[in-house]
Amino acid sequence: MKWLIRRVIKKGKGTLQYEEDIHYGEELDIGRGADQAILVTDLRVALEHVRVRAISGGKKYRIESRIAAGVRINGHIEQTATVGTGAYLELGSLRVTLIEPPAGYEAAVEVAPVDKSEQAARVEAERLPNTLLETGLSKRRPSWLLFAFFLLIGLIIPLLTHYVPSVGKTMRGTPLSTTAWETGELAAPHHYFGQDCTQCHENGFVSAKDEQCLTCHERTQAHADPKIYANFELADADCAYCHRDHNGVDGLILTNQSLCSDCHADIKHRTNNVSKLANVSDFGTDHPQFSVNLPAWNAAGEFVPTRVSMDTKLVENSGLKYPHDKHLGAVDGLNSPRGKQILTCDSCHKPEVGGAGMAAIDFETHCQDCHRLTFDSLAGDRQVRHANVPEVLAQLQEYYAKRALDGDYEEAAAPSVVRRRRIPGAAAAAISADEKRVALDWARGKANLVTRTLFEGKACVVCHTVQALPASDEGMLRYAVKPVRVAGVWYAKSEFTHAQHQSGSTLQGGGTLDCGSCHAADRSTTSANVLIPDIANCKSCHAGEGAKGLLASTCIDCHGFHQTPFPLKLRTEARANKSAPPAAAVTPNTKAAP
Amino acid sequence: MHDTMLNYGRYRYLWIMLLLLLGSLVAYIWHFPIGRPNGGSWLGYTLGTVGAILIVWLMLLGIRKRRYASRVGSVRGWTSAHVYLGTSLILVTLLHSGFQFGWNIHTLCFVLMLMVVFSGFFGVFAYLRYPALMTTNRQNTTRDQMMEEITELDKSALTLADQVDRSIHDVVLRSVQRTKLGGNFWAQLTAKDRSGEAVLKLRQAVMSHKPNQPEKKASGGQTLVMMVDFIGQTANDQQAESLRRLLDVMCRKQSLSTRVARDIQLSALMEIWLFIHVPLSFGLLATLIAHVFSVFFYW
Repeated sequence: MKWLIRRVIKKGKGTLQYEEDIHYGEELDIGRGADQAILVTDLRVALEHVRVRAISGGKKYRIESRIAAGVRINGHIEQTATVGTGAYLELGSLRVTLIEPPAGYEAAVEVAPVDKSEQAARVEAERLPNTLLETGLSKRRPSWLLFAFFLLIGLIIPLLTHYVPSVGKTMRGTPLSTTAWETGELAAPHHYFGQDCTQCHENGFVSAKDEQCLTCHERTQAHADPKIYANFELADADCAYCHRDHNGVDGLILTNQSLCSDCHADIKHRTNNVSKLANVSDFGTDHPQFSVNLPAWNAAGEFVPTRVSMDTKLVENSGLKYPHDKHLGAVDGLNSPRGKQILTCDSCHKPEVGGAGMAAIDFETHCQDCHRLTFDSLAGDRQVRHANVPEVLAQLQEYYAKRALDGDYEEAAAPSVVRRRRIPGAAAAAISADEKRVALDWARGKANLVTRTLFEGKACVVCHTVQALPASDEGMLRYAVKPVRVAGVWYAKSEFTHAQHQSGSTLQGGGTLDCGSCHAADRSTTSANVLIPDIANCKSCHAGEGAKGLLASTCIDCHGFHQTPFPLKLRTEARANKSAPPAAAVTPNTKAAP
Repeated sequence: MHDTMLNYGRYRYLWIMLLLLLGSLVAYIWHFPIGRPNGGSWLGYTLGTVGAILIVWLMLLGIRKRRYASRVGSVRGWTSAHVYLGTSLILVTLLHSGFQFGWNIHTLCFVLMLMVVFSGFFGVFAYLRYPALMTTNRQNTTRDQMMEEITELDKSALTLADQVDRSIHDVVLRSVQRTKLGGNFWAQLTAKDRSGEAVLKLRQAVMSHKPNQPEKKASGGQTLVMMVDFIGQTANDQQAESLRRLLDVMCRKQSLSTRVARDIQLSALMEIWLFIHVPLSFGLLATLIAHVFSVFFYW
């Protein structure tokens, strides 16, 4: 095998000079040793570094490194390689290029020095990055990516779901919808439609309007008569002023005092002196005395309770005479037809269903057991009806008429026809017309007597105020009983629930919370006493927001807001009313022709 | 006392931060909102505005520090303020939110902000601690000087190795070619240093001259013992001398390589946190825009 070794010698100014050499042999050895075909005097080269063989007639070369360190072939360090012409080896500062053998040779190489700058450039290129910037890590690209990404998922896509209904429907409930913009959980009932934000937030940059609330809450009532208080800024307060959603499942009803006291602390000025209510700001420190509905009747006899402040000692005009002390005070019980009976508060006062107030007291249920309406000792099991005066009068008349006509009524003062026992069927059973008249006369008189006894003597008058009326044309006695109102709504403007106060809990000052803690019934001798407690009683346990040592109660613990019978007037309507000019007082010009 | 970004201006910005925090806390405690404290009360809006302005200003540090001609404060002052006011953001935003959290864009904004602030804390730590460590590690030279010296040592090693034996030369040549300092970001951060391998390879080469030696566990220290044995038993004085000098060179190269790798590691650590801090802050900016927009859009 004849090898051509062409050496390139760089003379100054870029000129090159070639030197050619011939090598015979199958292999071309390159290294630092003197026995190598190509000698390289560079310590970076081993004594016997690399062996090159020509294969397939000079078209291809096989390169083998003879040391473990390998050799740089075409820029990369390899152990072996099969290359075509044009490939080059780099050893130290020499480049050996395997070239097309010219005529007469089977293989050829060109040996050229690699100049220092090229070597340095290669070293630089192969150098590993040794700062983070050189590794290609970037701040700019990830910054743009993150910016674009969060803007997309946080702003652009949610906005699309708001404006484009089809996108909104697709994304509903996913974090890519405006649900991601929720600032807090919706109230529990609002979860019903809560995945569609546009139900309340119809337009952007505008707060939720009352119209949206009233879509469902149609029957909400106004706080004050809209006509009287039309000019009052209450009409300006929208639902969201007090009902702030996105505050948790139970956060929709706010209890802050200031929501009420903002106006009610100086209600007169706020309503331009229209409201006659007292100023209130805090239950513990600034709340007027309670007012109760006292029973009263007008001239026409209609029940018209009057709202009276408990500032002064009140007298109840219930129409009933009832001493609590007599009923509660008996140590070993009251004498009743069924033996001794001890009465307690709940013998008569039972809470109504729901536990707020007390169920109505009923004569038949609660009183008649002892206060029986018997009228004739000869008929001890008969009682007159209660409360229906005409019925009682008629009943007595009819009773004695029958007794008279039947006979066998053993009263000494009665005529004989009445006393006589007439055996049925016998001829003596029939009575004459005269006897009938006598019997009925007696009956009328007896009925009147018993009536008077009942009404004015031993029954009705015990508890009621009885007024004798002129007798009827037939001579029947007539009476009227003053109307009675025992139970009713005492606090018209607030809600009190008995059930919450009947726990029997121990009070701070000793004792337990029971009926007598608030109602001085066992000391009451007459029903003229108003046994409903006033504010001082409640203040022994309750105080306002921020109370220390007492129960903290805010306005809506007892009072409601939406409490008038009028429907809530929408803000827009109210504003329209406010700004509408008063109805034109000027009539059109109708000057009649002279 | 060494001037740092923390004590700039006699801790001026520390006091400003404390004042801001105290003011926010007092306002939060004395404010009684309707319902619970939240971002929509007047105090919530105020603190939110303060927080948003702070975030935008904090990001302007990147611009200020590149405006070399600017006289608006000094970059040192800006950096000191950046650190303290960035830290104050944690409490300001917590109070702004009224400690209300949920699975929404608003809490995402807060979480991103926390990630930015905490990566910044690492940055402060790195900037305060690592420069001193780097100086100590460099021992009055520079990285370039050390790397030049390594190149020189490589050359000497080759010469010396050639004087000992060709197999030793082979090993040294390969180690010279293969030992590269630096690498990808993980290699840089973990101070990957392959110089120890070279010494081990050398040991193996030496061992191949002594087949009866018991196989000892490969370690750098053992290699020296190996080499000492070899030196002691080799007849040729020149070889022994060359090997001893080669040993010196390899050990010096190893110590230099370790120091260079540590130098690379320390400066990578000083840089890596910014690759988290800056991109996240842009993510935060986008989320902040979404947060502010959404609370006014669905007012």
